[in-house]
Amino acid sequence: MRRMFFYMERDFRRWLRGRANVLSTLILPAAWLIFVGLALPIRFTDNYLDFIAPGILVLTMLGASLQGGSLLMFDKVLGYLQKFLALPAPRESILFGKILFITLRGLIQATVILVIAILLGANFLSPILILSIYAVLFIFGVFLSSVMTTIALKVDDHDSYAAINAMVSMPLFFTSSALMPYDQMPGWLAVIARANPVSYAIDCIRDLQAGIFPAATLLGLLLGAVLVLLMSVTVFRKATV
Amino acid sequence: MAAIETFELTKHFESLVAVDRLDLAIDREIFGLLGPNGSGKTTTVKMLTTLLAPTEGDATICGHSVIGDPLAVREQISYVPQDMAVDPKLTGRENVIFFAKVYGVPRPREVADEALAMLDLAPRADDLVRTYSGGMRRRLELAQALVHDPAVLFLDEPTIGLDVAGRKRIWEHITALKDRGMTVFVTTHYMDEADQACDRIGIIDHGRVVATDTPVALKASVCRDIISIRADGSLPDELPGGVAFLGMTDGELRFEADRGDEAGFALSHVLTNAGMTVRSVSVRQPTLDDVFLALVGESDETEAFDDRRFRRMLRRR
Repeated sequence: MRRMFFYMERDFRRWLRGRANVLSTLILPAAWLIFVGLALPIRFTDNYLDFIAPGILVLTMLGASLQGGSLLMFDKVLGYLQKFLALPAPRESILFGKILFITLRGLIQATVILVIAILLGANFLSPILILSIYAVLFIFGVFLSSVMTTIALKVDDHDSYAAINAMVSMPLFFTSSALMPYDQMPGWLAVIARANPVSYAIDCIRDLQAGIFPAATLLGLLLGAVLVLLMSVTVFRKATV
Repeated sequence: MAAIETFELTKHFESLVAVDRLDLAIDREIFGLLGPNGSGKTTTVKMLTTLLAPTEGDATICGHSVIGDPLAVREQISYVPQDMAVDPKLTGRENVIFFAKVYGVPRPREVADEALAMLDLAPRADDLVRTYSGGMRRRLELAQALVHDPAVLFLDEPTIGLDVAGRKRIWEHITALKDRGMTVFVTTHYMDEADQACDRIGIIDHGRVVATDTPVALKASVCRDIISIRADGSLPDELPGGVAFLGMTDGELRFEADRGDEAGFALSHVLTNAGMTVRSVSVRQPTLDDVFLALVGESDETEAFDDRRFRRMLRRR
């Protein structure tokens, strides 16, 4: 298992050496929060920032995971993956390394959002609340980065990955509870939103904000992550190039 | 037990037979697999390195089956694919240390330093790889491959896209590894390099190995040396043993013999004694190109043109 940290370390080194990457990773979530959180004319709540901040946090992790899957595509197209698969290290350590890097990079972005949200007046000051939010985001990050990394392993090229990415990202976000509560949605949308894993993560954070422990939602998210991870490990163990 | 053994190793891609009942035994030598594009070279390497599962048959690396115990196989091998995959955003040292850590080598930094020194990369070890030449990148890949002291090294087109000096240096390192007892399995398109560096050569075509032998034996099996002599006078009836007269073209007498250098000298002597005036003698030995063309022919490539690989080659020049 130690080897996954070496794969993760490699990705962090590569990421940190691309200044434009680091800058865009940190600026983008802040822009989302400011433009969506402060600019939309919303009437169903007095504090839209408090409402939208969990959505933006999960959206950030969603974006990080979708973008992160392409890392494996690069490794595959540039020939690194062939070498990694011929190493004696368990092949799932490649998957775990990617998941760790993508999720931790997403958590760094989430930290930027949390800091700005707090500065703008959102109620995220309790350390336990912040730690719980990190835990939810981590589980969600593992869930989605596992899916996307495995998709990148199976599809042929960047174009196919980009097509799947586009097909997944928009529906996942807009059919979630990120932008409005369930009672404000049309009935059909509420049904979809309640099954959407993005909503699970957002609802967990909103419940934690309200002082409720979201046992059932969190369990659902955790089970989803474990299931997806098991499937991804199986696919990676059988990987061929 | 040979380091690499294959037993009717076969790979089908749907109806295409990429590798057809391959039987090889390779041990402590440089074995070169030659063949046209799409003949099954890379598929063979991928099966031997556990990256592809054979459809039928099996292969063993140091006694471990690629099907039954792929993890044990990976412990014994290193694989350098033709893509030249080294991280340009990392330094040479970081690239090698990363591999040493993933291989689980004790003291990865020291081992990486030794590998870098062995491949003459120590002075540039802390530079980013994006500043390295193609030859240096290939040597860096060899350094990565050597950190766990593998018993068997697989090299897929190790000198493709490199300049003459870079190619020469890579082969010097490969030969040094063989001298240390390593088994090296290499695929290449460069016949002259295979001729000089490989102990044995296998020629593969349409997935079948059509010949396996030493370069000298392969060349001897296809055609004998050609001796060309320019001389005035009448050709004697008696020629030295083993020399056959082929004919005269543009005033040049052409003979065929087993050992061209010795036979050319003897022939020149016989002709002079017979009253002829010998003006020039030249001997041309058959090359692996001749062997390749004789066994494989000049058929069109069957594999689709890989423009991604072509662009990568251009970038390295």
